[in-house]
Amino acid sequence: MSAIELDDIHTYYGQSHVLQGVSLAVEEGENVALLGRNGVGKTTTLRSILQLTPPRAGTVRINGEDVTGLATHEVAQRGVGWVPEERRMFSHLTVAENVRAAIPPDADPAERMQLAFDRFPDLEDLREHEAGSLSGGQQQMLAIARALVGDNDILLVDEPSEGLAPLIVEEVVEALQSLPDDKTLVLVEQNVPMALALTDRFYVIDHGEVVAEGDSAEASLEDERIRRYLTA
Amino acid sequence: MTGIVAAVAALAGLPALAGLPAFAGLDAIVPLANLGQLADLVDPTTLFGIFLNAISKFGVYVTIAAGLSLIFGLMGVLNFAHGSLTMIGAYLGGALMLTFVSEATGDVVAIAFFFLALALVFAIVTAAGAVIEIGLIRPIYDRPPLFQILLTFGLVLVLEEGMRIVLDVYDVQPNVDWTEAAGTRPDVLGFHEILGVTTRGIYQFEAVVGILVVAATWWFLTRTSYGLHIRAGSEDAEMAQALGIDVRRSFTVVFGVGAGLAALAGVMLMWDPRYGASVGLGVETLLIAFVVVIVGGLGSFKGTVVAAAIVAVVDALASWMLVNDVVTFSGLPELVIFLVLVGVLVVRPQGLFGVEEVGGH
Repeated sequence: MSAIELDDIHTYYGQSHVLQGVSLAVEEGENVALLGRNGVGKTTTLRSILQLTPPRAGTVRINGEDVTGLATHEVAQRGVGWVPEERRMFSHLTVAENVRAAIPPDADPAERMQLAFDRFPDLEDLREHEAGSLSGGQQQMLAIARALVGDNDILLVDEPSEGLAPLIVEEVVEALQSLPDDKTLVLVEQNVPMALALTDRFYVIDHGEVVAEGDSAEASLEDERIRRYLTA
Repeated sequence: MTGIVAAVAALAGLPALAGLPAFAGLDAIVPLANLGQLADLVDPTTLFGIFLNAISKFGVYVTIAAGLSLIFGLMGVLNFAHGSLTMIGAYLGGALMLTFVSEATGDVVAIAFFFLALALVFAIVTAAGAVIEIGLIRPIYDRPPLFQILLTFGLVLVLEEGMRIVLDVYDVQPNVDWTEAAGTRPDVLGFHEILGVTTRGIYQFEAVVGILVVAATWWFLTRTSYGLHIRAGSEDAEMAQALGIDVRRSFTVVFGVGAGLAALAGVMLMWDPRYGASVGLGVETLLIAFVVVIVGGLGSFKGTVVAAAIVAVVDALASWMLVNDVVTFSGLPELVIFLVLVGVLVVRPQGLFGVEEVGGH
């Protein structure tokens, strides 16, 4: 049984037909990259999984369960965490409140909070600071911490290196590499070498369709399957 | 020298101002009677009297505005029916108190029943507010704000006319204060003297209720997970949902609690001789609620509390000037309240503690 299964999904923004029959499967504990140029539908694929932009046709399954048409919070409660593009902090809440907002009601908040701060010690010193005052790198760590404190087996991570200095990107890579092995990761990333280094498999999306796929370990920027769809 | 300039110059120690022609004719614009009374402002008893009036008005204003602040600030919904919910709260509270209390009821028991009535009215109107949010407001979240204005304005008409019909059935005059309900107020909340100032106990009682409302709302927003989810959802509803938060339900709770607070204010005002239960209470309280929320800044409950305090002090000072014939213009308290609003909007359009964008659904 796949952790995530998309079966011929078609997603629109108004009249714009963005995803035109995307089908893919991600196994439990697998790390998968979605590659492609800007605007081809990678972020929309993540939004469709979460039902933030629900597909008008096709099926989304999480751990075998059809979640198409469910509310976003119901999909999230089935163990799907989201680290969005541009981090999307609750900027007027403190770091601690941002983390606490993501802790499920039946979990021990103190224990979960400590788990987050053990993984990202820099955040503990900033726990009473407003999230909007953090640097880009600190916000990215907080976004990942927020996705981890829920009971999430699946993480959808969108452009984690965007707008960050190279040194901070290395920290983000380390954070993603240190995720527990049982977590399933779907990574959207423009930095192809980084994406391939962090994942087991990749899909290339172009014009709202999956046009290529393969093993990350065997691929590189020179790979024809990737080069054709990533260069202008 | 004009009267007002002379008084201001004397207070500021600048008698030279007296001869400036630019100030000539000011007395003709602001009707003045006895500026010499302004000297009484340095008298501790006078100041204490103004302070007592100000904390009473603070209690009233913050209670009236708290619910609107939650709904407007956290959801971005313009609820013009807020005042009508206050009016309904006043009548429901009055009906409950007339049921609970008789002439033989002691003061302490009457106050205990008052808090029971507060709790019951809050619960009833909170539930009704939740139904209104689900049935009427939720379907138009994605429409322009004009739809919310029209819908909630329509609610004002429905609630007010509905209340007039109910009052007609029970033979209660809708346009004047409901004196029978006000008569359930215990004697302990009547006239008494504190440090040389004659006041009514109800005014200090309102200050206490206002402070309790602020404390409870603050606790709810900052110390409960529900409050945290509401604040997160109001900042970024989509992100909050992606964290597993049922934002729609949070907004239903906010609207319900906001409506309940509006009604709670009505129960309190039912006993206040300056207000009383009448159908006109809705419009009367809506204006002040909007002034307080806008001055404080949309999206900031702290701003609402500070604005209620500022408006209360200014109002208490203006009321003192009117009562003591410093100024004979009877609309002075209302005038200065709206001058505060205009001043804040000119200097800081987002309000004292406002954020640039509020609400999200």
